[in-house]
Amino acid sequence: MLNYIAQRAALAIAVAITVSLAAFVLLNIATDPAYAIAGEDADPEVVEQIRQRFGLDRPVWVRYGEWLLGVLRGDFGVSYYWNRPVASLVAERVGTTLTLAFSALFVTIAIAIPLGAMAALNRNTWIDRFALWVAVSAQAIPNFWLGLILIILLAVIYPIFPVSGDQTWRHFVLPAFVLGASSVPPVMRLMRTGLIEVMGSDYIRTARSKGFRGRTLLTRHALRNALLPVVSVLAVQLGHKVGGSVITESVFAINGLGRLALQSILGADIPTVQILIFIFALVFVAMNLLADILNAALDPRIRIG
Amino acid sequence: MTARYHHALGPAVLAAGLAFGPGAAAGPDDDTLRAAMAGEILNLDYLYTTRREYIILAKMTDARLFTMNPETQEVEPSVALSYEFVDDMTIDVELRDDVQFHDGTPLTAADVAYTYNWIIDEGSESHAQSLISRWLDRAEVTGDHSVRFHLRAINPLIIRDMAQRVPLRKDGTYHQGEAPDFDAMATDLVGVGPYRVASFTPGVELVLERFDDYFGTPSEIGNIVVRNIPDMGTQQAEIMAGGINWMFNVPLDVAQNVGMRPDIDHLAGPDLRVSFIVLDAAGIVEEDGPLTDLRVRRAMNHAINRDEIAEFLMGGGASEGIHTACHPVQFGCLQDVMRYEYDPERARDLLAEAGYPDGFDLDLWAYRERPKAEAVMSDLEAIGININLRYVQLETLNQARAAQEIPAYIGTWGSSGVADTALIARVHFSDTSDRHLSGDAEVVEWVMNAEETADQDAREEYYRNVITRIAEEAYWVPLVSYSANYLVTSDLEFPLDNDGVPRLQNARWR
Repeated sequence: MLNYIAQRAALAIAVAITVSLAAFVLLNIATDPAYAIAGEDADPEVVEQIRQRFGLDRPVWVRYGEWLLGVLRGDFGVSYYWNRPVASLVAERVGTTLTLAFSALFVTIAIAIPLGAMAALNRNTWIDRFALWVAVSAQAIPNFWLGLILIILLAVIYPIFPVSGDQTWRHFVLPAFVLGASSVPPVMRLMRTGLIEVMGSDYIRTARSKGFRGRTLLTRHALRNALLPVVSVLAVQLGHKVGGSVITESVFAINGLGRLALQSILGADIPTVQILIFIFALVFVAMNLLADILNAALDPRIRIG
Repeated sequence: MTARYHHALGPAVLAAGLAFGPGAAAGPDDDTLRAAMAGEILNLDYLYTTRREYIILAKMTDARLFTMNPETQEVEPSVALSYEFVDDMTIDVELRDDVQFHDGTPLTAADVAYTYNWIIDEGSESHAQSLISRWLDRAEVTGDHSVRFHLRAINPLIIRDMAQRVPLRKDGTYHQGEAPDFDAMATDLVGVGPYRVASFTPGVELVLERFDDYFGTPSEIGNIVVRNIPDMGTQQAEIMAGGINWMFNVPLDVAQNVGMRPDIDHLAGPDLRVSFIVLDAAGIVEEDGPLTDLRVRRAMNHAINRDEIAEFLMGGGASEGIHTACHPVQFGCLQDVMRYEYDPERARDLLAEAGYPDGFDLDLWAYRERPKAEAVMSDLEAIGININLRYVQLETLNQARAAQEIPAYIGTWGSSGVADTALIARVHFSDTSDRHLSGDAEVVEWVMNAEETADQDAREEYYRNVITRIAEEAYWVPLVSYSANYLVTSDLEFPLDNDGVPRLQNARWR
């Protein structure tokens, strides 16, 4: 197991470095940070001044090398755009993004698991059809659209929740729902499929013959096995929530890593974008690893390494 | 949702809303004007910023030696009481003796001299340096409240620069440690303006409160909160929900639609920003290309229906088609120049005369207002020019232009809200600018001459030559002036100024 974890950790770092190199090169091809910082109507002299101040007049490979060496020393650099250490920018926002990510995951679990279970236990009934409709809708509706519709309905017409911001728990309700809804389809369908499969298995038939029925049968015998694939998908979905909240955080003006990523990309803030991509890549790989480990822990038949 | 369900659901949801609903709406109840800006506010020190958002904020937090009257465009006293040219190269400025910084420190001549000398110091890296160092040699304290400015060159915009570009800082502001600290005022600004900074979270929120010891006419509203809300749809929802009172740079269609609500007003005012097409008349990108032919450039000028673009795409009542390479209200932007009325037939004839009866292929670059770019493209294609529209990010356009890869681009320029042709002419018609594609040395010389004399009549004459030549040679295709569209809640009175710079400090509750 330890060997396996070490291999996956090394893979995570390799992935993160590859992604960061690609991002660095692409950003340098597509944008000019000096212009982004100076603004639309800046004098060319001001643009040149900024270019020299941040060392942007040096070759790309020199700057990437410097950045990578800095990261290895634990120095994440200084943001061109915010003019502050990138580490402090990330540290300020990571809590907000994690709050949103876990809230969204809670929403996903709260909707998808009961819905998937009900669909499995009521196959080919209107409940099953309703669950399918929810899954298809959640998959088809883009985050930004759902966000704006919820804002109009529950913040403008019926002012229950605030429109935007992240000051109180109420500010997180709508964005958590929006972000969580996008993960409902895969979790719900896996839950449904897994439970249908489990409910038709031999050991459930045996349990029934012993007289187990209803909730006891479901919770003590069926759910544990049906949840196996769901747990691994939830771990991966958590990675999506951390790295994929760019649109949701922007629509709801939430000051997290997703919004920071968007601001940094638009501002051609290469040091910040680099670190964020690095973090997101690590989170994705780590969540996949976590999914594997959880599966092994939950199912004694699965062994890693 | 049917009306029946809507009515059934309404009371229940409203009840929940009362129980859990958001806090007090923005407005007069707590004497707090809440404004939204899409662009991040990261640095409050206008000596180190340039964007429009920062100009708006600096008008509230800072005061300058002089101020521009936005209606008359005349310079008026502010921190300074008066100025006097001792000779061509020396200006004496008398200061008020009742000006205080936000921390209670009285402003003296030493603060003013320090600010100006710091800006022109090569190590300051101030964004105002290139502008001020064109004319300032050094500032000298001559009394507690008097400063002498020694000039290095005659420049007609000195007093205007003092009035618009240089906020005042306390003596020693950037020299508190061993090395100069460029960010000394980035987040903890101490200015002398009508509002002081109460709190600031970069990229999130700026809270300003009225500075009671401000030397000028106090603002009426007690607090101003500026929130960064990147998404225009979210800003729209906030103003509809009463979360903000003011938003700007609103797209025309949004402004018109939301402005129809009884509790929200759509305000449209002038803006000094103009839009134009710059043409590679000198053949820098393509030697002997079609754009080097005067008839082709004139044909392109005749092809564009400026007035309809202004009315239907820019709109708001303040936008109009323009015929000059400057905004009509700017000093020196004389309007008695050659005009190219919308005439596609004439345009086609000119193209045929130039040897392009079937048109030609042209890469046209643009970076903002796609509908406008597509309207221009459509007009040009109607006379036979096959346009390849390269709609890109500004940075990409800038890079391509610097690499001399752009034969024609739709540019815009806001002149930093300064109503003087100098602000648009120098950047676009100097030998060192990659924006200059006319290759006309005489135009460059006139522009430079206009900046090297303080004689306003002479300046006007130089600019007459510049504007006339550009029109006759059709170096540009002037398009439209902009309209500044705002949405404000109806309980807010927000006066609009001719220079297009929003002054939140002049707002008041109805």
